[in-house]
Amino acid sequence: GASKEQAELHQSSASDKKVILLPCKNPPSRERVQLWLEARKQYESLQKGL
Amino acid sequence: MTTLTRQDLNFGQVVADILCEFLEVAIHLILYVREVYPSGIFQKRKKYNVPVQMSCHPELNQYIQDTLHCVKPLIEKNDAEKVVVVIMDKEHHPVERFVFEMSQPPLLSISSDTLLSHVEQLLRAFILKISVCDAVLNNNPPGCSFTVLVHTRDAATRNMEKVQVIKDFPWIVADEQEVHMQEPRLIPLKTMTSDIVKMQLYVEERAQKT
Repeated sequence: GASKEQAELHQSSASDKKVILLPCKNPPSRERVQLWLEARKQYESLQKGL
Repeated sequence: MTTLTRQDLNFGQVVADILCEFLEVAIHLILYVREVYPSGIFQKRKKYNVPVQMSCHPELNQYIQDTLHCVKPLIEKNDAEKVVVVIMDKEHHPVERFVFEMSQPPLLSISSDTLLSHVEQLLRAFILKISVCDAVLNNNPPGCSFTVLVHTRDAATRNMEKVQVIKDFPWIVADEQEVHMQEPRLIPLKTMTSDIVKMQLYVEERAQKT
């Protein structure tokens, strides 16, 4: 009866609740990317020297 | 000439493909323009017939792709109200938010020719606006990082559960620190209305960045 309707209404409003999500994982840090860039530059200069 | 309608099973997929491809380009460009990463990792490419800067760092590129793979099922079902690229300071407090607010019109009947040419033109304008947005924004403090938020409904999160597992890329509900920004300044960048999607992009900038 009424209680079932109330429960359904509650369930539907709960599932319609707005949420904001974000990834658990972080992107690579600037420092990590900087190290990769320096290593790549070194590799490229070595390649040119060969 | 093919005509697509909302009833077509793959219509949502077409819209999601177009928007996710655009968001990928937009995220790379935001990270370049706002100097989140060293400029040396970016290479000039041509997208939407304009030059853009795209990262060539494999881990970063994979991260952006995984993020968008998870967001795609929500866009497909018109369940992603906003996709937000948040730039955060060293303390992980937001300094800037690039807000892509999107919705799909309820009724439509369009040709695929119209879709491709007109939408590409509109998205190009967004890219051009992003590429010059540093002129209207204050410099960010050093050591910033970024994240992507998606505004959706609780019930819709089921649609992205499968892809989270496949990609090993879980998502969580954002806490207050990740969302709240003190005294944001609103800078509208671009609005578009097409047959398949309505979208607006604005930046929320923290008044005191340092």
